[in-house]
Amino acid sequence: MLTKRQNLLETIRGGHPDRYVNQYEAFNIQLANPYAINNPRPKYGELNVVNAWGVTCSWPTGTPGAFPVHTPDKIVIQDIENWRDYLKVPDVVYPPEAWEPFVEMANKVDRNEEFVTMFYAPGVFEQCHYLMEIQNCLIAFYENPDEMHELIDRITEFELAFAAEVCKYIKPDALFHHDDWGSQTSTFLSPAMFREFIKPAYMKIYKYYKEHGVELIVHHSDSYAATLVPDMIDMGIDIWQGVMTSNNIPELIKQYGGKITFMGGIDSASVDYEGWTREKVKAEVERACAECGTKYFIPNASQGLPMSTFPGVYEALTEEIDAASKRYFK
Amino acid sequence: MSKIEEVYQLVSIGKAKLVPAAVQGALDEGNEATAILNTMIDAMGEVGDKFKRNEIFVPEMLVAARAMKKGVDVLKPHLTTGTAGANGKVIIGTVAGDLHDIGKNLVAMMIESAGFEVIDLGVDVPKEKFVEAYNANEGVKIIACSALLTTTMPALKDTVAYLNGQDFRGSIKVMVGGAPITQGFADEIGADAYTTDAASAAQKAKELVA
Repeated sequence: MLTKRQNLLETIRGGHPDRYVNQYEAFNIQLANPYAINNPRPKYGELNVVNAWGVTCSWPTGTPGAFPVHTPDKIVIQDIENWRDYLKVPDVVYPPEAWEPFVEMANKVDRNEEFVTMFYAPGVFEQCHYLMEIQNCLIAFYENPDEMHELIDRITEFELAFAAEVCKYIKPDALFHHDDWGSQTSTFLSPAMFREFIKPAYMKIYKYYKEHGVELIVHHSDSYAATLVPDMIDMGIDIWQGVMTSNNIPELIKQYGGKITFMGGIDSASVDYEGWTREKVKAEVERACAECGTKYFIPNASQGLPMSTFPGVYEALTEEIDAASKRYFK
Repeated sequence: MSKIEEVYQLVSIGKAKLVPAAVQGALDEGNEATAILNTMIDAMGEVGDKFKRNEIFVPEMLVAARAMKKGVDVLKPHLTTGTAGANGKVIIGTVAGDLHDIGKNLVAMMIESAGFEVIDLGVDVPKEKFVEAYNANEGVKIIACSALLTTTMPALKDTVAYLNGQDFRGSIKVMVGGAPITQGFADEIGADAYTTDAASAAQKAKELVA
């Protein structure tokens, strides 16, 4: 039996996996680091927590995650033409002793079994609209393109500095990087605009990680983004996590399998809801596996971490994927 | 190209800085203010259709709606009071517990661009607030509520049930939307209409009041 890590590599290389990669099983996700612990995030039920960038976020009770609050007084960049006056970029360089507990945690992971996987969020596009408010941000791509390029350069610079520290201390095998690029049915930006503004940033960021020992780039966008897949490949993304059914995944696998792997195929909203049922979970897993096959595909709910909003859904998915492995790998 | 054609063109491509002069030019050419308004509504209709076909994206829709707004500002003194929102008033909001606003805002913009007056209650709106807004405004034809999370679908259900229990229910239409919402869910909770995107919502709103 292959290790979880070997099985994942066989899956994404079109080799001989002996079972489905079961959701996030191959990734030992490292959420904590000195920057993250100095970058406050709301806990479940907490409201109006200001992070290291000055962005206010809330996590209302009964919702699946934190969300930026953009009442007019809480928008960080009030005027994109003078973004430098508003933006305070947090520290990213910490002394070696600050990294020690996190290095120790990473060292406990059996790297033959799992990938030590560094987590980073929000990504470049999300950071822009967290700082600006989404409508202001989307309009600025049109009306203030020079300033948007400058702001993105500054955010990229920060991400590269973070990457340098992470690669120096944690030496991760994989990166799990979040940046939602679309809604259920469309990308937020046109592919042309995405290529002009967002792609160059990721060409630099993901290239840096790859050149400094990171074997796998896993990018989360639980959205439609099928039109961006060729760009994802150019950027060095190995696995697109969160791929929703609206992307026509079987067609994407046919077209791009071997260059990129698709992790998802089960829309969280279709299984993770109040009153969810085991039958529905089973049916969704079966549909996804039957449609997408056994290579270049990792069955997974679109949620961006190994969890579910409603208790028991993640575990039920895991069990049903194991059961599907027995049917599809003989 | 006539000035009124220019207005159509400039709204379609979202040239907010150029639209006011073009609208003024169209007025100077002797066009009726309502004709210019209808031209802009048609232009936004085309924008909505292109958005539905994924030919344009959210930024293009935002800049077009903003351009129309600038044009309406120039037209307002020339329109009979209420003409800009002649189709009636629409109350809109994201239900209690849900902080998402981009989808709701797009729907609000497209509905406004279709000739309605929009009363936007924002996000995280308790059900009672929708009713308060109805009572505080005359001429409300539609109440539109959205939920972007599976966890706030129950709040949408509660809101619609609360609206369905009001005496005024027979005189309004209730529209619902949001990523996890389906036609089946909309039917189950007793809403009058559900659409999948902002452009279709504007079209549906027009049909509901026709």
